[in-house]
Amino acid sequence: MEPTSLVARVLAGDQDAERELYDSHVDRVYRLVYRMVGDGELAADYTQDTFIRAFDRLATFRGEAALSTWITAIAISVVYNGQRKVKRLRAREVDLEHADPVAAPAREADPDLKRKLAVAIEGLPEGYRTVFLMHDVEGYTHLEIGSALGIQEGTSKAQLSRARAKLRQQLAEYAGDLAS
Amino acid sequence: MMDEREDRLDEWVRDAARDYNAPPPTPRAEMWEAIQAGRRAGRVAPRPLSPFRTPIRFGLGIAALLALGIAIGRITVPSRTEAPASSPATTAQTSTQPVPDQPTLTATPSPGTRAPAPSNGDPRARGEVAALFATGDHLTQVETFLTEFGTRPPATDFAGQAQDLLTNTRLLLDSKRVSDVRTRKLLEDLELVLAQIATLNPRQRSRDLDLIADGLAQSHLRTRLRNAIPAGSAIRL
Repeated sequence: MEPTSLVARVLAGDQDAERELYDSHVDRVYRLVYRMVGDGELAADYTQDTFIRAFDRLATFRGEAALSTWITAIAISVVYNGQRKVKRLRAREVDLEHADPVAAPAREADPDLKRKLAVAIEGLPEGYRTVFLMHDVEGYTHLEIGSALGIQEGTSKAQLSRARAKLRQQLAEYAGDLAS
Repeated sequence: MMDEREDRLDEWVRDAARDYNAPPPTPRAEMWEAIQAGRRAGRVAPRPLSPFRTPIRFGLGIAALLALGIAIGRITVPSRTEAPASSPATTAQTSTQPVPDQPTLTATPSPGTRAPAPSNGDPRARGEVAALFATGDHLTQVETFLTEFGTRPPATDFAGQAQDLLTNTRLLLDSKRVSDVRTRKLLEDLELVLAQIATLNPRQRSRDLDLIADGLAQSHLRTRLRNAIPAGSAIRL
């Protein structure tokens, strides 16, 4: 079905069309959100929020970008805002952990390479990380990323290149092991 | 040699990153139920009546504003007829007018600039002046509303007022008289923010407010709004 007619049906109050729209996009949204937050509960919460907003604002969808890109843009906005709050809360928790002599060992102590990579990805600036996850992990094109993040396609490419360079830098000491 | 090593490292990173936060199967049904419940909660949220509630009142407000603008235009016509025929039609805009050879995107000035004096009995010019006053007044109302929205307690009925302002924003956007590109862009951005406020989800209000605040900051909406409002010329009914 044409996305525009599906949108029109949803706007007309067709419940089946709502479900159809949800089914068409939910996997892609959930996957990306999960990649960004790494927590099932948060990912579900953000995905629900994304669709609630998407349905509420569907009348403002003008078809300038693909519907999937429009929904992705909402999802990223929801994740960014939600994660800022989560980070604030976690920062408080970390303060408490530091006061506790039996706090868990730092992640950096883990010698596993994939663990190192995970830490390196976590350490990327927000924008670089999002572009890296969208492009290299979830397979979005630079055009889609640009539309979803409200940046130029070239900026998306540049951010990906910088993200990769930062990851290489972080993993430089293991480069020999990886190359062999 | 170095490039080859970097390429291999990039390749390894891409492969290994697929395991980074690998998503489990999508919990479709659970999320759908939660979405439905969340939307129902949003729909049934009671909204107390505000003085701006009824669309008829707002329609009347807009009509009255347009009428006032036309009246002002008519009042200014006789003094213009006495002016020499060679005098320029605009005054305040002369310094910002584009060179005649240069293309311009604007058919009407933005409300931040002084209204052009209508040419003698030209109904189109009078209509533009009216639209200019209506736009200026609307932007003033939105600015006041957004200021209150940021300072008043959450219990205030912002959704209802936002809905009404949204209606007026749409009316102005639909008007051919409002053709200034910057004003139209501003109105479109305001429409989005007002729509967000009008559909505030009571369940996740704090998250919504963060989104709205981010939207306002990212588009420099308050600054653009203040710049677009004519200094000291707000018309109150």
